[in-house]
Amino acid sequence: MASESILVVDDDRDFLEIVSLILAKKGYEAKTCSSAQEAMTRFKERFYHATILDISLPDANGTELLTRILEIHPDIIAIMLTGHSSVQNAIESLNRGAFAYLEKPLDPDNLMSVIDRGLEKQRLVLENRQLMDELERHNRIANTLLSVSQAVSQSLDLQQIVDAALERVAQSTGLEVGFIYLNDNDRLVLRGHRGLSRKLAQSMLKETAKDSGTIGRIFTQARPAVIEKLSRYTEPDLGFLCAGGYQSFAGVPLTTVPSENIGVMGVATSFTHCFSQGNVDLLTRIGREIAIAVRNAQLYEAASSAKSLKELDAMRTEFLANVSHELRTPLAVIKGSANSLLQPDVIFDEQTRRDFLVSIDKDADTLTRLVDDLLMMSRLEADALEIKKFPHNIEMVIGSLRDRLESLTIKHHLRLEIPDDIPQVKMDEGRISEVLTNLVDNAVKFSEDNTDITIKVESNDAELIVSVSDQGFGIPADVHQKIFERFFQGDGRKNGRRKGTGLGLAICRGIVETHGGRIWVESEPGKGAKFSFSLPLH
Amino acid sequence: MEKKQILIVDDDPAILRLLSTNLKARGYEVITATDGEESLEAVQRDFVDLIILDLMMPRVDGVEVCRRIREWSSVPIIILSARGDEKDKVKCLELGADDYLTKPFGIAELIARIKTAFRHRGDPAVAPAQSNFNFDGLEINFAKRRVTVDGHEVTLTPTEYSLLQHLAVNSDKVLTHSMLLQSVWGNEYSSEKEYLRVFVGRLRRKLEPDPKSPKYIQTIPGVGYHLSTVR
Repeated sequence: MASESILVVDDDRDFLEIVSLILAKKGYEAKTCSSAQEAMTRFKERFYHATILDISLPDANGTELLTRILEIHPDIIAIMLTGHSSVQNAIESLNRGAFAYLEKPLDPDNLMSVIDRGLEKQRLVLENRQLMDELERHNRIANTLLSVSQAVSQSLDLQQIVDAALERVAQSTGLEVGFIYLNDNDRLVLRGHRGLSRKLAQSMLKETAKDSGTIGRIFTQARPAVIEKLSRYTEPDLGFLCAGGYQSFAGVPLTTVPSENIGVMGVATSFTHCFSQGNVDLLTRIGREIAIAVRNAQLYEAASSAKSLKELDAMRTEFLANVSHELRTPLAVIKGSANSLLQPDVIFDEQTRRDFLVSIDKDADTLTRLVDDLLMMSRLEADALEIKKFPHNIEMVIGSLRDRLESLTIKHHLRLEIPDDIPQVKMDEGRISEVLTNLVDNAVKFSEDNTDITIKVESNDAELIVSVSDQGFGIPADVHQKIFERFFQGDGRKNGRRKGTGLGLAICRGIVETHGGRIWVESEPGKGAKFSFSLPLH
Repeated sequence: MEKKQILIVDDDPAILRLLSTNLKARGYEVITATDGEESLEAVQRDFVDLIILDLMMPRVDGVEVCRRIREWSSVPIIILSARGDEKDKVKCLELGADDYLTKPFGIAELIARIKTAFRHRGDPAVAPAQSNFNFDGLEINFAKRRVTVDGHEVTLTPTEYSLLQHLAVNSDKVLTHSMLLQSVWGNEYSSEKEYLRVFVGRLRRKLEPDPKSPKYIQTIPGVGYHLSTVR
C-alpha cells in the first residue's frame, strides 16, 4: 500500500527527529524541514497528503505559511503546532483552513489520531471529487450525444445529416478534423468532411475499397482504430492528414444498433496521443447516433423513389386510359356508321348513306393522325426522335408552307410579319413546319371567323423567336403550363369542332425542345393568345 | 301514339350526327346538346323521354349531369362512354343511370337498350292482375305506379319500379339473378349481375329503414333475391 506522505515543518531539530520516527513507525512517509522557505520549496516540488506546521517559525508566521501552502495544495491536511501562549493564532489558522491544532508538548497518540482523522476526511473529499468529475464527464458525454443526435435527426436529407453530424462533433469534442465515408455498393464513398483546407480535402480519396487501408479495416472489422502518432508509415487513405500536419487520428465504425455497419467516421487533431479509451467510446456512441440517422435517411430515400415509381406507374395508367378513350371515339363513329348501313330494319336514302361513308372516311383519317401522334409522342419521350438540322431561312420555310397555312386560315386573315435581316438558323425544316402548322391550326380552332391570325418572326443575339397570335377566346393563366402536357384539352373550342388528339402542343414542345429551344404562351381570357417558340442561333 | 323524344348529349359532332340519323330513322324525335350544361337546360326546357349521355364532356361532365338530373327527374338515362372500366359503369349506375354502353357499340344494341328503358316506363298492358301489394309498411299501387313506405311516397326511376314490381308480384318466390335480369331488363342482360346488384342497392336505399339489414328485399347469396312476406 502506498503510504501517505507527511511534511513536518519545525525549527526544533530534535522534535523533527522524534515525530518522523513516530510517523515512520506508523507506516507514513515522513519528510521534515526546518524553515518556511524550505517548506515552500518542498511543497512546490510535490504533493503531500498532510503537513504538521509549527506556528512560530524563525523566518515566517506559521499562519501565513499555511495560507501559501493551501494555495498550492487546497486538499492538504494541515495540523498546526502551538505553544500554550499562541492559542489565538491557532484559532486564526483553523479559520484559514487548517484541519486541527495541537499544543506542545505533543501526545503521540493524540497526534496519530488527529492525523488519521484528517487523512480519512481527505480521502472522502478526494473520492467525492472523483465521483463529481465522473458525473460531470458522463453529463458531458450525454450532452454531446444528445446534441449530435438532435442535430442529425432533424433532417431526412443524407447530406444535411452528414454535415450537421460533423459540425456537432467538432463543436462538442474540439477535434479539428472530421470526415465520414458511407458504404455504397461495396465501396466506401466520401460523403463529407470538416476542418480541412480545400487543398487537403481535394487530396482525400473520394472512395476507397472495403478491404484496404485504415478506413476499410475499421469498416470491415467494425472496430474503432486509434493512431496516436501519424507518420510516414500511415496508410495512403490517411495520407492527407500527414500532409496537413495532423498528429493523431481516431476512426470509428458507423453502426446501427442491430449491428449493421454503414460507414466510417474519422477524426484527427494536431496533438499526439489525444484519444483515451473514454474518447474513443464517446466517438463510437456518436457514430451510432449518426448511423441511425443516416440509415433512416437512406430508407426514406428508397421509399420516396418507390413513391415516384408509383407516380410514374399511375401516369402510365392514365396515359393508357387516355389513349383508349381517344381511340374509342373515332372508332365509335366508324363502327356506328358502318353498322347503320348494315341494319336490316331501316333503309337510308342515298344522301344519308353517303354521309355515313364520309364519316367513316374522315374518322379513319382521325384515327391515322392519332396513331401518328402517339408514335411521335412516344419517340419524343424516349428521346428517339431523329431530327436533321440544316441552316434554313425561316422566311423560306414559312414560304413553302404558305399554301397549307392559307387553306387552314381560309375563314381568317393570315398576316405575316417577317423582318428582312433575319439570320439563318439550324433546324429540321419538316419538324418546324409541323410546329407552325399546329400552332396556326390551334389559332383557327379557338378564334372566330374573320379575325386576324399573325405569324411574327423576331431575333436577338441568341435566338430566333417565331410567334403565332390570334384574336380568339384566350387561355386562363392557370393552364398556361398544363396546355403543353399530353391529352390536355382546352375548353372554348368553337361549336361543332371536333376535339383534337390532345397531343398537338405536347408534340410541338417536344420538337422545339429537341432543337434546344423553348415554347410558351402569353394570353388572357378574351384577349387572344400568342404562342411563341424560340430556336437557338448558335 | 305521340313520338318519343330522346336527348342526345355528346361533345363529338360526328357521334351526334350518327345517333340522330339512326334514331330519327326509327321514329324517335331527337334533340341534341354538346355539353353538360346545355343538356341540363334542355331537360328542363323540353319534354324528354330518354337521355343518351356521353361521360367525358367539357364544363359539366356526364357523371355530374346524371347526378343533377336524378335530383328531380326519373327520366331514363343511358350512358355512352369511351371508358370501358367496370368501376365507371358501377358508379354511373349507382348515381341513377339506367344503362351503360361502351364505345364503340352496334346500332342494334343501342336500339335494344332504348326499347328496354321505355318498357320500364310502364305500359298499362303489363300491369299485374292484382291492384296492390301491402306488407309491413311497404305499399305498392300497381295501377298508379305509386310506392309508399309508412305512408310516405317514394320516387322511383322506371327501372327501379320495374324491378320492385317484379319482386312484389312474385313475392315469397326466390328469383334467380338471370330470371330477374331477363324479365326486368331483357334476354341480352342475363349475365349483367352488376346491374342487379346496383339496382337492388338503389331500391334498398330508398325503401329500407336500415339498408344494411333489409326487411323487404332479401339476398339469397349466390342465387338471387326475394321479397319475403313471411317472417
